[in-house]
Amino acid sequence: MRCPAPLRRMLAVARAEWIHNVRDRRSLAIIIALPIMLLLLYGYAIDFALDELLFAVLDEDRTEQSAELVRSMASSRYFTLVSAVGTPAEIERMIAAGRIRFGFVVPRGFGEDVSAGRAGQVQVLLDGSDSMTAGVALGYVEAIVRERQLDLIAEWAARSGVPPALIAPPIDVRTRTLYNPELKTVTFMVPGLIAVIMTMLAALLTSGCIVREREVGSFEGLAASPIAPVEIIIGKLLPYAAIAVADVILCIGVGWLVFGVYPTGSRPALLLLSGLYLVASLAIGLAISSVARTQQVATLLAFLATMLPTLLLTGFVFPLRSMPTVLQWFAQVIPATHFLKVIRGIYLKGTGLGPYTQETVALAVISLALVVLAAKSFRKSLE
Amino acid sequence: MAESAVRIEGLRKRFGEIVAVDDLSLQAQPGEIFGLVGSDGAGKTTTLRLLCGLLKPDAGTMAVAGVDVLREPEQARGRLGYLPQSFGLHDDLSIAENIRYFADLFCQEMSEVAERRDELLAATGLAEFTDRLAGDLSGGMKQKAALICALIHRPEVLLLDEPTRGVDPVSRRDLWRIVYGLPAEGVTVIVATPDADEAERCSRLAVLAGGAIADLGTAQELIARHTSRLVEVSVADQPRARGALRELPGVAAISSLGESLRVSLTVDGPSADELAQVLREREIAIGGATEVEPRLVDALLLLEARAARDGDA
Repeated sequence: MRCPAPLRRMLAVARAEWIHNVRDRRSLAIIIALPIMLLLLYGYAIDFALDELLFAVLDEDRTEQSAELVRSMASSRYFTLVSAVGTPAEIERMIAAGRIRFGFVVPRGFGEDVSAGRAGQVQVLLDGSDSMTAGVALGYVEAIVRERQLDLIAEWAARSGVPPALIAPPIDVRTRTLYNPELKTVTFMVPGLIAVIMTMLAALLTSGCIVREREVGSFEGLAASPIAPVEIIIGKLLPYAAIAVADVILCIGVGWLVFGVYPTGSRPALLLLSGLYLVASLAIGLAISSVARTQQVATLLAFLATMLPTLLLTGFVFPLRSMPTVLQWFAQVIPATHFLKVIRGIYLKGTGLGPYTQETVALAVISLALVVLAAKSFRKSLE
Repeated sequence: MAESAVRIEGLRKRFGEIVAVDDLSLQAQPGEIFGLVGSDGAGKTTTLRLLCGLLKPDAGTMAVAGVDVLREPEQARGRLGYLPQSFGLHDDLSIAENIRYFADLFCQEMSEVAERRDELLAATGLAEFTDRLAGDLSGGMKQKAALICALIHRPEVLLLDEPTRGVDPVSRRDLWRIVYGLPAEGVTVIVATPDADEAERCSRLAVLAGGAIADLGTAQELIARHTSRLVEVSVADQPRARGALRELPGVAAISSLGESLRVSLTVDGPSADELAQVLREREIAIGGATEVEPRLVDALLLLEARAARDGDA
């Protein structure tokens, strides 16, 4: 062959696929309307419950009163005390490293205030980048403190003879939230939603492309040409990778305009990683498209194969920590698990790729493996 | 002797329990229009798909223009043009875009194939429809556009799988006119068809039954080999007429073709009048019975009936 044949044939496939998507209304609807619709639809809260939240304690007071309060915190079935620390900075470091979900601080003078009948202050430091968990944690802390308050009020009433109803709450909970100060669910939801929507969309996009050709009969003409299977796979991936990255930008734009949530960290890093991540989903769609008999089956399979695990097993809705160990292991194989960490970090903590080397490598490995899988299943389907 | 344009030896392919192609061997010479004839399921499409590498054979070798299909599939496919039953076009691409797509797949520069394209567009009468989407074309136009795509890279061998299925008579004529012109350019054509009239247009034929070659030769040879005398009886109640004639001495086979039965007879068998007499005695109304010249269709029907009998035995 005289020309750089593989490249030329790949581009021929890519061009045909591109033209199809531009001309086909159904494809256009999926590309443009679906992500916007889903983002708006799911942009609102879902219900959450947690247990065994890890936390650290800073007891600056070191009195009978403070020790009692910390004990009731640590013995709650919702919380697990990881360590007692010496400075507030340590708590912040542990939150940043993801080792604890919140820090509980009892300032000096708490015991004295409470003993004297004044309101004693305590402080809760929350990781706002996971606002669902943070919100739930805060609710639990307040519930435990309230119980302790009732005990204290009863004590005071017995001691002073003042009716309990007239006694002011003896403990005042002050919160400070790191990373997502307003603790808005939507702030937390949008990056996750973008990840979930793009996962499904990418697989949906490619799920039709081979089975459709088989249905209309254009596949035979393609397969009887000198093109190699891997050239077909790459040729098919190219236009959809471009479309998918455009869709990520579209989603980011809608999140920004409608919900006022935007990536505070490195945007080039976000796009780069999105691209890497989307290859995984596109490959899943291609693999499905190679084996499915009809487009309907392919669409359904693509939906099931991406939406369900991504929603349930990646920490999007249910925190991974609250899952059985087997599922936590399984979650590591799902690309969205890693991507969620990165996209939330870039959106909420304002980071670049730096802290996420592990996730980036995991994504690259999973994506590559899935492309190989797609090529394999495609080759097999030619037999 | 020059290298055969297509050489198939000992080809076998089975799908599970079903043997689709059974020890098939044939050679087509350069410039030949070679027909693969047989009813549905005879193995025509499977043979073509094996030839262009869409399927892997269980045994056997194939060569196209001297290139081994199994050892050098990419090279072999580059020398082939394939017109599948399903047209093979992208419905949402225009004719011009489809042509460009296939030119790219076969690594042809548009500047090189422009002349070829215009020539083929003119021959098919599609020149003014190049911007129309393939999905909006009629069956005949679609098939002609698909033929252009299959020929755009000047293949040495063209494989046609039932090219006129669902095609109107005018387009059918156009298609065949183009195909007839190909041998003059040195192109070898292998055409699969269940239609005897179409098979008659081929220079040589392989009659397929049950995946194997039942016989091979020119249409004239096949007719001479498998038919002797033939009487055409036009009759409404075909089942009863068949029953009445089947047991007569000298009747070799009966097949139905449209409104009439075609009765193959041995040389010493009954005459047309005698057959008519038998039917009248049974009070079966007939429109007439005349001795006619046997055609390829009769030879094919006889061959098929024999293959079916052999298969059962």
